[in-house]
Amino acid sequence: MKPTAPLRRACARTLLAAGLATSLALMTGCAKSEDDSGGDRGASQGKDAGQVVASPSGGTGPSCAIDAYGGEKRDLKSATVGFSQSEKEANPFRIAETASIKAEAQQRGVKLLTANAQSQFSKQISDVQDLIAKGADLLVIAPLNSDGWEPVLRAASAKHIPIVTVDRKINAAACKDYVSFIGSDFVEQGRRAADRMIGATGGKGEIAVLLGAAGNNVTTERTKGFEDRIKEKAPGLKIVFRQTTEFSREKGQSVTENLIQSRPGIKGIYAENDEMGLGAVNALKSAGKKPGAVKIVTIDGTRNAVQGIVDGWISGVIESNPRFGPLAFQTLDSFARGEKVAQDIVIQDSSYTKDNAESDLGKAY
Amino acid sequence: MTELSLAPGAVDRDRALRLLQDYGVYGGVLALLLFNFVFTPHFASAENFRTQAVQVAPVLIVALGMALAIGTEGVDLSVGSVMALSTSLLSLYLGYGPWTATLIAVAGGVVAGLASGALVAFVGVQPIVATLASMVAARGLALVLLPQLKDVHDPGLAALGSGDVLGVPHLALIAAALALLVAFVVRRSTFGRQLLAIGDSRPAARLAGLPVRRVLVVVYVCSGALAAIAGVLATARLTASDPTSLGTLMELSAITAVVVGGTPLSGGRVRIGGTVAGAVLIQLLTTTLVKHDLPPSWTQIAQAVVIVAAVYAARERGKR
Amino acid sequence: MLTVTGLCKTFPGVRALSEVDFTARAGEVHALVGENGAGKSTLIKVLTGVYQPDAGELSCDGSQVRFATPLQAQQAGISTIYQEVNLVPLMSVARNLFLGREPRGRLGLIDFRRMHRAAEDTLRAMGIRVDVRRPLRELGVGAQQMVALARAVAVDARVVIMDEPTSSLEPREVRTLFGVIRTLRERGIAVIYVSHRMDELYEICDAVTVLRDGRVVHTGRLAELDRLRLVALMLGREIGEVREEGLTKFTGSRDTAARPVLEAEGLRIRHQLDGVSVSLRPGEVVGLGGLLGSGRSETAKAIAGAVPVDGGRVVVAGEPVRAGSTAAAIRAGISLLPEDRKTEGIVPGLSVRENIALAALPGLSRFGLVDDARVDRIVDTFMKRLRIKAAGPHQKVGELSGGNQQKVLLARWLALHPKVLLLDEPTRGIDVGAKAEVQALVDELADDGLAVLLISSDTEELIEGSDRVVVLKDGAVVRELTGDAVTEDELMRAIAAVPAGGHDD
Repeated sequence: MKPTAPLRRACARTLLAAGLATSLALMTGCAKSEDDSGGDRGASQGKDAGQVVASPSGGTGPSCAIDAYGGEKRDLKSATVGFSQSEKEANPFRIAETASIKAEAQQRGVKLLTANAQSQFSKQISDVQDLIAKGADLLVIAPLNSDGWEPVLRAASAKHIPIVTVDRKINAAACKDYVSFIGSDFVEQGRRAADRMIGATGGKGEIAVLLGAAGNNVTTERTKGFEDRIKEKAPGLKIVFRQTTEFSREKGQSVTENLIQSRPGIKGIYAENDEMGLGAVNALKSAGKKPGAVKIVTIDGTRNAVQGIVDGWISGVIESNPRFGPLAFQTLDSFARGEKVAQDIVIQDSSYTKDNAESDLGKAY
Repeated sequence: MTELSLAPGAVDRDRALRLLQDYGVYGGVLALLLFNFVFTPHFASAENFRTQAVQVAPVLIVALGMALAIGTEGVDLSVGSVMALSTSLLSLYLGYGPWTATLIAVAGGVVAGLASGALVAFVGVQPIVATLASMVAARGLALVLLPQLKDVHDPGLAALGSGDVLGVPHLALIAAALALLVAFVVRRSTFGRQLLAIGDSRPAARLAGLPVRRVLVVVYVCSGALAAIAGVLATARLTASDPTSLGTLMELSAITAVVVGGTPLSGGRVRIGGTVAGAVLIQLLTTTLVKHDLPPSWTQIAQAVVIVAAVYAARERGKR
Repeated sequence: MLTVTGLCKTFPGVRALSEVDFTARAGEVHALVGENGAGKSTLIKVLTGVYQPDAGELSCDGSQVRFATPLQAQQAGISTIYQEVNLVPLMSVARNLFLGREPRGRLGLIDFRRMHRAAEDTLRAMGIRVDVRRPLRELGVGAQQMVALARAVAVDARVVIMDEPTSSLEPREVRTLFGVIRTLRERGIAVIYVSHRMDELYEICDAVTVLRDGRVVHTGRLAELDRLRLVALMLGREIGEVREEGLTKFTGSRDTAARPVLEAEGLRIRHQLDGVSVSLRPGEVVGLGGLLGSGRSETAKAIAGAVPVDGGRVVVAGEPVRAGSTAAAIRAGISLLPEDRKTEGIVPGLSVRENIALAALPGLSRFGLVDDARVDRIVDTFMKRLRIKAAGPHQKVGELSGGNQQKVLLARWLALHPKVLLLDEPTRGIDVGAKAEVQALVDELADDGLAVLLISSDTEELIEGSDRVVVLKDGAVVRELTGDAVTEDELMRAIAAVPAGGHDD
């Protein structure tokens, strides 16, 4: 071998390592980002932002009690609760969801164990098994998938651990494999968005739909609710444009740019999440449109979108409330004390319009 | 030579293929433009061309760097992640003002390129593997620095993203300037000539005493820097830093633009004009399908058809 | 055992084999020799079913056969041992030996105990002692080759073809290998042995077939053919056929007292060079003689820094040159015209102009930008001076003829004003006219004071072109021919000479 080669290679390696180290130090050491108008999102959430149940507990739907599920009564205060989050806390919804669970546990003085599956289902399964092994007495799970939960459910039912799933259902027998599901009705969200759109446009004209990622149940349900309601209530509104922009702001922006040029007469845009809606706002702004010239209705209720209503760009935001903490703990508490709880707890999502946007901006996440 | 013995018909066919490879992409752009003028309402407006120019700018800039890497018989898969890294750094340092933040973002791209280049040139890792490593690392680092989408309120950046000079958007101007610069470097500089020689025949370049390693490192540094610039521009346009989704699959779009533009994957040739036309072609294709509200999967199928056609033309040429 | 008659094989533009008759007999080691391009590898590929012959017959054990695929040849009992062993490096020695025919126990599982025992027996019978459970790649190259041989024998091979088996072996491993070959011979297996190492041929082979330009020029018992005659046959020259007229062509009166401009001392590359020293004076053409594989190209590449060396040093005009760096060698004034013009010389996709300017670019640039006017001047000068025939400076080099490509390469180096020019086969594959031009050019350059090292398989060219000839054999200098001794006769004698110290190189 060339005698200089290893030396040079070592040199390159050292340089590389040194470069990486310095750049990291630089990045973390003297970073100075722009002032964030949003401030601390997790901390600023008020109690009033908690969820309200749409169907009253123990009412019409099937319910569940501890005698049927197995296990013994206990006081939640002395118990340990495990929470398994599905995706990285990289979007406002997940951030608010985790923060809400943590805040509620702290307030109630309950010991909380958390895990994050980083969008890998196999990791979520082992996460939950770990939580059980670490001594969780009750579980709150935000499932990544609906299927494939048998191994976890078997382990949990052997120990009579009550499970509450939030924001997505799992395919298993309620009150046998798990206690309750707490979540939004995405079809209903779509219907309400349609109502807002009808109100904003006056029920006539051409509108466009920015679809979420293909093959996602949220996308299909929000689309179904919206389209059905439009067909039923406002036949004058025509959906002339449907493109997927994958829940991303950037794609929402580029597609909308093309949309408003090829169809200048478009009256409304329904975006299936806030990010795509904000992208559409960007596109309208740079095209020189005036606020309100094209009516935009979105779903989720993030702070940026609600701010968009205040600024006049967005006509309505249907909330999809991520603050499962209070309701989840209330359900577990009632259940542990021996009371009946509903198997399906559909939450009441609020909505933001011009009338309440400014005052309720603090509620947005 | 062999050409002399070929029948006239074969020569014609050969010439047709060569023309197809050299100018097919321009023909494609022209055809799509004509189609849209006739069938797409409101297509022939200045506003529309501005939009297309702005939308194509980031892909185009990334494709310029990719063309250099492909010219050396390599490839740079890390461009999309470098864009994400760049947007994270930009957001993180915006407190120092947009210029400083942009400089730091570009420096991040340079460092990422340096890492890929060192792996390729000194350690001898294949470019596809080396840049795959940088791709994963840069995206990871971007998300560590900025885990979620963050709005950018800086008025300077917003002006960069949506402003114009005499009706030409800033983004389009910057992309055009960079394309001219890269074309000039490839045609006129020592570095450009050496790059082509290395891509065409590495053993010959080595025996001719060319600084093969240095050239390779510089190529990946350029690619990283250009990707970082594209990241800054994309951020300015979006007025938000979104490291989770910015630049995903950008490497594929860039490679497509380069290959469709007639730059062979086997190196030794860099066609900047073709690359620009390739990026425009893909943009027009997407736009056409969006404007006619066809399902997005059609766009992907159409892109695939274009790539296969370009690769087929290149292969026919190589066999000769 | 294996016979071919009237074999012909033509590739586009080249007649690789014509009317070749060849017979490998059972229990005989048959040497197949010839210089580059003589047709050895084509013949082997026809024998092993890689190529289909255009004409001629193949017969095995008296019955006519036809191998459409290498597999068919293997099934007929013809095994080939390549230089690079084609076994599975991560599997154990025993598994490699029995690959595809493992002894099965009950349930159809591999019976490892039986397999290991059988493997040990097989290898011991051939005089090889290794742990058969170890993965093959942990063994030395020689031992791996032994395993490949053992496998060939174990699958009932009746003809074993060995292509340069000793090229990467240590002397000790060579001894073991020869032991194995003798065992094969005793078992009645026909061995076809391809090598350039004269001493090995005479030690192990019984018969010999010499190929030249696709034809058989000699076949018979090796013992009946003396070394000098064998060399003459391979090179295609007759002994005693002194060419006086050739000697007059160059000026023999170069200043032999001048200080050498290039001194290379003790160059060593494992398995390839063993302490080669060469020195060149300004205005001198030194030939590097020897057979294929004697280390000629390696010497040139080592001097030019194109291959990493294990030892030795190169000094140009009193200044030592950093080893293993082409850039350093070029800066010192050493230029190499590589043997493989197409892959290591020209950059085919670039124009004549770019190719000529390539190495000199940094000197022709200001602030990193190429000074096109100066490039044009230089390109123009050299295209005229070397009479490069091209449609213009912008034609692609890949489209030029071989002779013009070679001239473009010469121009590339001359543009750098080198002190030392290393020419590795400068006239191979170019037509007669261009050949004479290149030869005249080399003479002219030497007259201008350039030191030239010339490597050529064409003995006539080498002898006529050189003032001195350094003869290499098995990676070492065996003789230096000077003055009146620069003749083809002396060259062949030097190549054929039996080493003084027996077989220990």
